[in-house]
Amino acid sequence: MLSVFILAPFAGSLLAIFFPPDQRGATAWFAGAIALLCFLVAAGLYPFVTSGGVLRYDLAWLPELGLNFTLRMDGFAWLFTVLVTAIGVLVVLYARYYMAAEDPVPRFLALFLAFMGSMLGVVLSGNLILLAVFWELTSIVSFLLIGYWHHNAHARDGARMALTMTGTGGLCMLVGLLLMGRIVGSYDLDVVLTSGDLIRNSPLYMPVLILILLGALTKSAQFPFHFWLPHAMSAPTPVSAYLHSATMVKAGVFLLARLWPVMAGTEAWFWTVGLAGLSTLLLGAYFAIFQQDLKGLLAYSTISHLGLITVLLSLGSPLAAVAAVFHIVNHATFKASLFMAAGIIDHETGTRDMRKLGGLIRYMPGTAVLAMVASAAMAGVPLLNGFISKEMFFAEAIETHQANILDTMTPYGATLAGMFAVTYSLRFIHSVFYGKAPEDLPKVPHEPPRWMRAPIEFLVLACLVVGIIPAITIGPFLHTAVVAILGASTPQYSLAVWHGWNLPLIMSFVALAGGVGLYFLMRNYLATSIEGPPIFRLLHGQRIFERVLVTLSWKWARSLEQRLGTRRLQPQMRFLVFIAIAAAALPLLLSHYEMPPLLVRSIDPAFALLWAVGIACAIGAALLAKFHRLAALVLLGGAGLTTCLTFVWLSAPDLAVTQLLVEIVTTVLILLGLRWLPKRIEDTQESELLSLQVRFRRLRDFLLAITAGGGVALIAYTMMTRPLPETIASYFLERAYKEGGGTNVVNVILVDFRGFDTLGEIGVLAIVALTVFALLLRFRPQADSLEAPEQQRVQNAFDDDHPDRNEGDSVAEYLFVPSVIMRWMFPVIGMLAAYLFLRGHDLPGGGFAAGIAMSIGFILQYMSGGTRWVEERLRIHPLRWMSIGLLVAAATGIGSWLFGYPFLTSHAQYATLPIVGKFPLASALFFDLGVFSLVLGATVLILIALAHQSIRAPRAHARAMRSGKEAS
Amino acid sequence: MAASTSPPADLSAALVLDPVASAEWLVILPVAWCLAIGALLVMLRRKIDWHPYIAVLGLAGLVLIDVFLLRHVLASGPLTMVMGRWLPPFGIAFTVDLSGALFALAASVVALAGGIYSLADINDSGRRYGFYPFLMLLMAGVSGAFLTGDIFNLYVWFEVLLISSFGLIVLGSEREQIDGAVKYGFLNLIATTLFLITTGYLYASFGTLNMADIARKAEGLAGTAPLMTLTALFVLAFGMKAAAFPVNFWLPASYHTPRVVVSALFAGLLTKVGIYALIRVTVMLLPLQREELSFVIALVAALTMLVGAFGALAQSDFRRMLGYLVVAGIGSILAGIAVGGPGGIGGAIFYALHSMLVMTALYFASGIAARLGGSFSLSSLAGLYRRHAGFAALTLMLAFAVSGLPPFSGFWPKVMLVKAALDIGAWWLAGALLLTGFLTTVVTGRFFLLAYWRDAGAGEGATASATISPAALLPLTALTVLALAIGLYPEPLLATIQTAATGLAEPSAYLNSVFPGGAP
Repeated sequence: MLSVFILAPFAGSLLAIFFPPDQRGATAWFAGAIALLCFLVAAGLYPFVTSGGVLRYDLAWLPELGLNFTLRMDGFAWLFTVLVTAIGVLVVLYARYYMAAEDPVPRFLALFLAFMGSMLGVVLSGNLILLAVFWELTSIVSFLLIGYWHHNAHARDGARMALTMTGTGGLCMLVGLLLMGRIVGSYDLDVVLTSGDLIRNSPLYMPVLILILLGALTKSAQFPFHFWLPHAMSAPTPVSAYLHSATMVKAGVFLLARLWPVMAGTEAWFWTVGLAGLSTLLLGAYFAIFQQDLKGLLAYSTISHLGLITVLLSLGSPLAAVAAVFHIVNHATFKASLFMAAGIIDHETGTRDMRKLGGLIRYMPGTAVLAMVASAAMAGVPLLNGFISKEMFFAEAIETHQANILDTMTPYGATLAGMFAVTYSLRFIHSVFYGKAPEDLPKVPHEPPRWMRAPIEFLVLACLVVGIIPAITIGPFLHTAVVAILGASTPQYSLAVWHGWNLPLIMSFVALAGGVGLYFLMRNYLATSIEGPPIFRLLHGQRIFERVLVTLSWKWARSLEQRLGTRRLQPQMRFLVFIAIAAAALPLLLSHYEMPPLLVRSIDPAFALLWAVGIACAIGAALLAKFHRLAALVLLGGAGLTTCLTFVWLSAPDLAVTQLLVEIVTTVLILLGLRWLPKRIEDTQESELLSLQVRFRRLRDFLLAITAGGGVALIAYTMMTRPLPETIASYFLERAYKEGGGTNVVNVILVDFRGFDTLGEIGVLAIVALTVFALLLRFRPQADSLEAPEQQRVQNAFDDDHPDRNEGDSVAEYLFVPSVIMRWMFPVIGMLAAYLFLRGHDLPGGGFAAGIAMSIGFILQYMSGGTRWVEERLRIHPLRWMSIGLLVAAATGIGSWLFGYPFLTSHAQYATLPIVGKFPLASALFFDLGVFSLVLGATVLILIALAHQSIRAPRAHARAMRSGKEAS
Repeated sequence: MAASTSPPADLSAALVLDPVASAEWLVILPVAWCLAIGALLVMLRRKIDWHPYIAVLGLAGLVLIDVFLLRHVLASGPLTMVMGRWLPPFGIAFTVDLSGALFALAASVVALAGGIYSLADINDSGRRYGFYPFLMLLMAGVSGAFLTGDIFNLYVWFEVLLISSFGLIVLGSEREQIDGAVKYGFLNLIATTLFLITTGYLYASFGTLNMADIARKAEGLAGTAPLMTLTALFVLAFGMKAAAFPVNFWLPASYHTPRVVVSALFAGLLTKVGIYALIRVTVMLLPLQREELSFVIALVAALTMLVGAFGALAQSDFRRMLGYLVVAGIGSILAGIAVGGPGGIGGAIFYALHSMLVMTALYFASGIAARLGGSFSLSSLAGLYRRHAGFAALTLMLAFAVSGLPPFSGFWPKVMLVKAALDIGAWWLAGALLLTGFLTTVVTGRFFLLAYWRDAGAGEGATASATISPAALLPLTALTVLALAIGLYPEPLLATIQTAATGLAEPSAYLNSVFPGGAP
């Protein structure tokens, strides 16, 4: 049954979105029906919650987190449910008339229903986490409701502030509730409510208290978090009426009351809650006096009244808790009706500014009477509900609960706040309904439609009835709620208008008389003053909030970004290397790692020399990269050759062959690409011109590089001088032939043991080729590298000078003999590739080396014959070769499925071909074929991407020249 | 050729002799499938009109495979296939446990969403350029990284995905894109090299590359090998991939430059691969070292979160802001890794999965917003709510999700992480998580107010289109609904994640799957 309270509003909300925007009436009927349904269900459940009864509904939701979807209704929750749903019905009715035709009403009512559902969720949650979930939901939905008129900047700011404050408070509360769950060992509310002593005596009590209070106080707009509430009034008035009366701000005091049994009564609770409550009570009331906006006045009065409730809850006495619950109900009734009245005034006159309004009693007497009764209730005039709960408050304020200064001050503060309340209530009535008739109002005022006033009439009637005969109207319901909170410690109390002449009554009269007097003293000032109380108006909570946000988002965030987020690559890389050094070195240093002794033995001078050359080449390449690219490239080749020779030296001929081929191809390809780079930077900087800063930077980078390289070597040395672990390498050597069917271990590893890595790596190669191809497809060289190279220009000039020669002849004839030889080399290289390929499984070679070798053949053809010549004679489809290669390799892998073996299983065998003789035929051969095809395709793809550049570039050059001429 | 002289070998010690069950092929299928589709697309280079449909179908197939894989792992525990039937630790093993299967599935969902979105975002020239082959090969790399059980093989897949992502990021070849791509490429190459070097050290210490083999040898080697250095280097290499502070700068510098769908895929996939590898290596392989490093990781986590959140605050460009939010999310995940235990690791996995879906969707939203409003910049982006209320609602839900508000997917991992941090008494870490949530709320709230609720000036944006292509709206809606569904009913996912986290911390099932007969 309880799930109705959650399901109905949310399902209704979803449905309401789909009503057509012009169907105001129908949507309102629908939403009203949902709210009414919830109300009726709640009313029907009353018998189950009297005298401490509890209804529960459990649904397993997240058992891992100790979180079930538990709904729990006791008397207190029931009272709130009734408040939320009943006022919900009234607000829907009111909104039906309040909302303008151009507003998208279905959207509004959908949000409204969602909000009601969230609030009911907060009230009915039987689990702490679930409560936090619904709590955040109210924040989210209220954000959307407050920002409903989003074209208004105030509404947007108000919405954001509400979300930021209450949402953050909610997160803190969540942590508090998590901690509380940890203390208790369960998140179930029933368990928590019986563990009061455990919580109060826990060492975590203080953090729990502070975190939960942060949630409750932000939600209830308590000082110093009060400022979001007045800004929330830019919401449509029905929303304000709802937020301020039964929901949102009441969620905070609801939580305080809910946890009152387990948290109240300590000194910390008394001080923090009491201080926040008392200051809010006073400041809210004081600020309310000085508002010029009707809704602003009401908003601050809400803050003040919530402060009153908070003070009552802080006292820790059961009687005060009764008064608090009672005042929650009373405040809801009169505040909802007052907001609705303010909305009517705004609606019918077009302004809410009290300086402009006046004498409205002549135009709307009915509304005037209702507003007067309601504000009298707010002021605490006898015979109205506000009076009774305020008397109880005064009575409790006088009682001594804790012997400290805050407790002593409470009665005075209470009286003063009561006085202010009288003043602002009087002001509300007097300045709006009396005085001289308003001038130049945007609209001619008149009474609102009959049914727009009905909700107010109902609420005001409630104020009156409760105020006159409390014991028989609200009495039993209040008792049910109070028993749910206080249980066995429910005190004796009497709800009556007349308790005889006692101190609280005298305080009431002092407040009444003082308030009236104060109003007439300040009346003239207020009639013209600007918005906000003197002095305090300078200290705007909102402005502090905004300033904090701006400081956060612009000053701090920007400077942080500037400091840490450099957008230049060089510092980033330097930083990265530095961090890497630190990450490697610190653990070593911290663990007092002992470096292994450096063993110098049997260093072969030739080998050392080789490496000295290699190192020199590498350094030279780095040094010249910026100034002389060709030289740098040559040196790079030198470093590569050193690696190659090292492989030979260390008896790895297979690696050496592959490395050599790779070195050749990459160097040639880069050479071909060099031509399209922008003009190089001339090394004009003389060393003596270098500033100190530059020298320092270079020295630092040099040291960094040395440390990084040395560190890598050192760790490697450390690792290698350790006793060798039982590695898989020996295994490979052992098994390569026996089970891999090959005597070339490296190749067997590549295509068989770790063939899968090879599959990935040839994938990488394919992607690289595709990327290069795609990049060069769009590449447009710099203007300065567009024109033909100097050599061609000279050759063409030579042709021009000689009438018997056509332009381009010399270019074609250049290196004629070598180019013929290069053309003839093609079949030879093809044979070599085939040879490398076939012998790969047993001896140095394999698909990779063969592919590279074959691509050298193609490179030679392009170099000797030129792009057009080659492509007229050969079918070059590198993309197809690549994809076939990849597919063949993958298919070889999947093929073993057919034989029931895992991916890439190889089958080894020897086959005999005529002429070639016996050669190894493992199924890995097919895989190798894929590798071959892909490597060939990838290399040739890069090659033609570069080659086509030289076809495209002269065209681009010509185009540029043409457009240049046209321009001039 | 000594074939005739060697005695017959005992094959059972080295080779799988029994036929493998067809179900085992599920482990390798995601990778093989993506590679094959990628190769097919390369071959059909002239038929670029077919590319998107083949790719979307291929990715849908990938999702299906990953669903079956997850179901299989859920039903019967970790699954291993050894490549070329060489028994581990000699051959390469693909081993998938729950966490791997979860990540793989989430990645394929993200990729499918991206594939559909690309129908609206990638034009003919992008297709000619080869967007779809790159996408499929990227997915091969991503799937391989999630499924492999061999650390060098992991490096290979890292390379595959790095290079394909580089291909994707330069798509379009605008000056700005090249700039972003160069930074992205160089910094990531350094990280990848670091990974390779560290893997070399690892091999020198352990003599094996198989993860299960490493996991069971790690405790024994703790005294003799410099494992702390190894761990620190792995954390750095993967942290850099994941864009953790202080090596996070490459991400904001490059994520806003490529096409929207590329940014979206990157946000959903790449950093999360780094995170996954970090979890795999530090939690499963080197757990003792992770514990020793936990304070450092926690510090890094807190700073990453704050740098991300503050960085996002300072942005006025939709996509740059999202880039920083990705970083902030990484911080949250790292916090879980630092805290450890089922709660921390589970929270980290959950947060990573949530972040994959939500950040991808947010990038989609930024692209649609730019379509509708004509700009990515907050100074001119306005009035989106009036143009398309449904789209605004979707974005808002995503904004709440990324801020960790209920009832969206970001809430539960945040609760788990905060709870786990509180449980070990790391107050400041819990505080940093909350502060990040707060700042994220501020950031997304500000964007929503300005770009969506603020009215566009008269005449402004009149030229921009007011309709959204269904191909763009569909994936956005689907991912948002998914985020909402996870938020509303997280139980099945959460239960799975808890099991996955336990499986990482206590990898006995994983080890059994690789070495069914115990130690060789």
